[in-house]
Amino acid sequence: MISRIAFRFWMIVLLLVLPAVGVIAQIPLVEYEQALYSIPVFNPDFILSTIELGMTQGDFPAEPLLRLIDRLASHPAPSFEKEAILIVLAHALGDGFPIEGLINKASEGLARGVPLQQIEQGLLVRWSLLVLTREELLWSKGIFSAPAGLPQKMPTAIPMLRFNQLLIHISETIGDFLEGGGSPFEGHVLYQEVHKRLTMLQGVTLLPEDVELVLNRIEPSDLTQVALAAVS
Amino acid sequence: MKTDGLDKLLQDTLKAEVAASAERLSDMEKRVVMELGERCPRLRGFQWLGQLLAPTRGTRLGQIVVVGATAAIFLFVGLTLSDRVLPEGGAPQVSLQPLRSADGTQEVVFVWPAPLDAKTVAVVGNFNAWEGTDLSDPDGDGIWTTSIPLSPGRYEYAFIVDGRWQGHDPRADEVIQSFGEYSSVRYIGRGGDGV
Amino acid sequence: MYRMQDEVSLLRASLQGDTGAWGEIISRYKDAILGLCLGFMRNRADAEDVSHDAFIRAYVNLRRYDLERRFSTWLFTIAANLCRNKLRYRKNHPSTEQPLQIRGGIDPAKLVGAEDRQAKIRKVLAKMPYGYRAPLVLRFYNELPYQEISSILSIPEGTVKTRIHRGKAMLKDLFEEGA
Repeated sequence: MISRIAFRFWMIVLLLVLPAVGVIAQIPLVEYEQALYSIPVFNPDFILSTIELGMTQGDFPAEPLLRLIDRLASHPAPSFEKEAILIVLAHALGDGFPIEGLINKASEGLARGVPLQQIEQGLLVRWSLLVLTREELLWSKGIFSAPAGLPQKMPTAIPMLRFNQLLIHISETIGDFLEGGGSPFEGHVLYQEVHKRLTMLQGVTLLPEDVELVLNRIEPSDLTQVALAAVS
Repeated sequence: MKTDGLDKLLQDTLKAEVAASAERLSDMEKRVVMELGERCPRLRGFQWLGQLLAPTRGTRLGQIVVVGATAAIFLFVGLTLSDRVLPEGGAPQVSLQPLRSADGTQEVVFVWPAPLDAKTVAVVGNFNAWEGTDLSDPDGDGIWTTSIPLSPGRYEYAFIVDGRWQGHDPRADEVIQSFGEYSSVRYIGRGGDGV
Repeated sequence: MYRMQDEVSLLRASLQGDTGAWGEIISRYKDAILGLCLGFMRNRADAEDVSHDAFIRAYVNLRRYDLERRFSTWLFTIAANLCRNKLRYRKNHPSTEQPLQIRGGIDPAKLVGAEDRQAKIRKVLAKMPYGYRAPLVLRFYNELPYQEISSILSIPEGTVKTRIHRGKAMLKDLFEEGA
């Protein structure tokens, strides 16, 4: 019991501290600007403006993004293909989505030697899954993200960083399921997968009440709908 | 024919084939143990200890004395040098859990059994931005290992053996497909703290 | 002398370097492992080799096995992975060896009919993709629950169920086609 209380205390401290760490650990915009010049991109202003916007997000992955741009710069593909990947990230960032999963996918694709156009296609599906999952949570299930720092007045208004974590894990599970050859119509299997991933992380990086809220409200048919919309 | 009948037929077929291999199977224990002796000579050095510690072997008086004396020495040295206590019954405790620090970060061990002529083995994953961390095999037994400090969470990874990707780690909590290839997944911090 | 010992005692003794205890583990599991490998592989020599290697590899890695986990699942996982690796190798280095032939081990009175049907099922099994063959073998030869098959093959439990369902239908179709 005591350890559970201690754990919850540290989780809350961690989630409160994360945004501050994000600000402290930020990389100056000029670093990104220089990295973009070495690609070079045709439209650096759009990308830079969304990065600047993203920097205000508590979970902005500053270092992984810079590392990815550097990796793209040294890639032999034509620069418009590299820019296409960054444009997807910039759109997602501009819409306030957490992009750590997208950066991870792109980095994995580069490491595996996957052609950039194929990486871009993969990112587009993942991005649309983020959009569709957020819509599903918000409009159908009434679960939404509350601005950071405000006290939580409704149980379904989850502080942004916690909400983003749920969003990442639900949408990625659907993405992994589809990529592994799963059919959107296998809603029950998909639900099991989401259930498994969230419960494995329950009390690890996700708060138990957030996991319970999502698992109680979401149904296999909701996931089928999201998966279907993503592939169509 | 009913499908259920096919289940049984499948089972009978494989049973018949196992039976057909009976002769070759009969000395499998001997062949494996002999090969282990050749491949892992250092294991033989501990065999006497294993024989002494095996429960059914402590019946003769001489062995009881040796076991008692050995246990006393081990217990004394153990208690003197560390704060770890042997469990009840004197059986050696086997602890394979990763080391855990106060903030939950653990030294997670990655293991890949590679062909004996493998030259490089690395692990790539979202913990190192998919840029390799090398594994090592100092004793040359083909088992390559490294340990990486990881905070609680979910991690995707794969091994690269002499430039070839191997995404199917038997120790993984799950395996997913990514860009048409396999990646392994481990959950750190709860339930999935695998070996 | 090892026969009466429980599995955990045998594993602890094996961890101490007692290869005799490991011999007893092999005796207990060799039929299950060979059956699994025969189902996964396309020829007997490969299946026997992989079974042998699985016990070697499991012993060498034993210190990394978590005694809290189910041993059979761990051992089956090692064998399944070795089979998969060998099949990949065979794909790139085709063997000249003959495929499996059915021999003895069954009631002589039923021999002709049974042998014929078993030979057919063997042929059908060899035609099936690995992804369907493996769950079928683990389910119907090793008689494992879905959850354990999911863990061994590293595929979701739901996928295991789907593959077994589709695999059975595939087995039936191919069997009737060849009939």
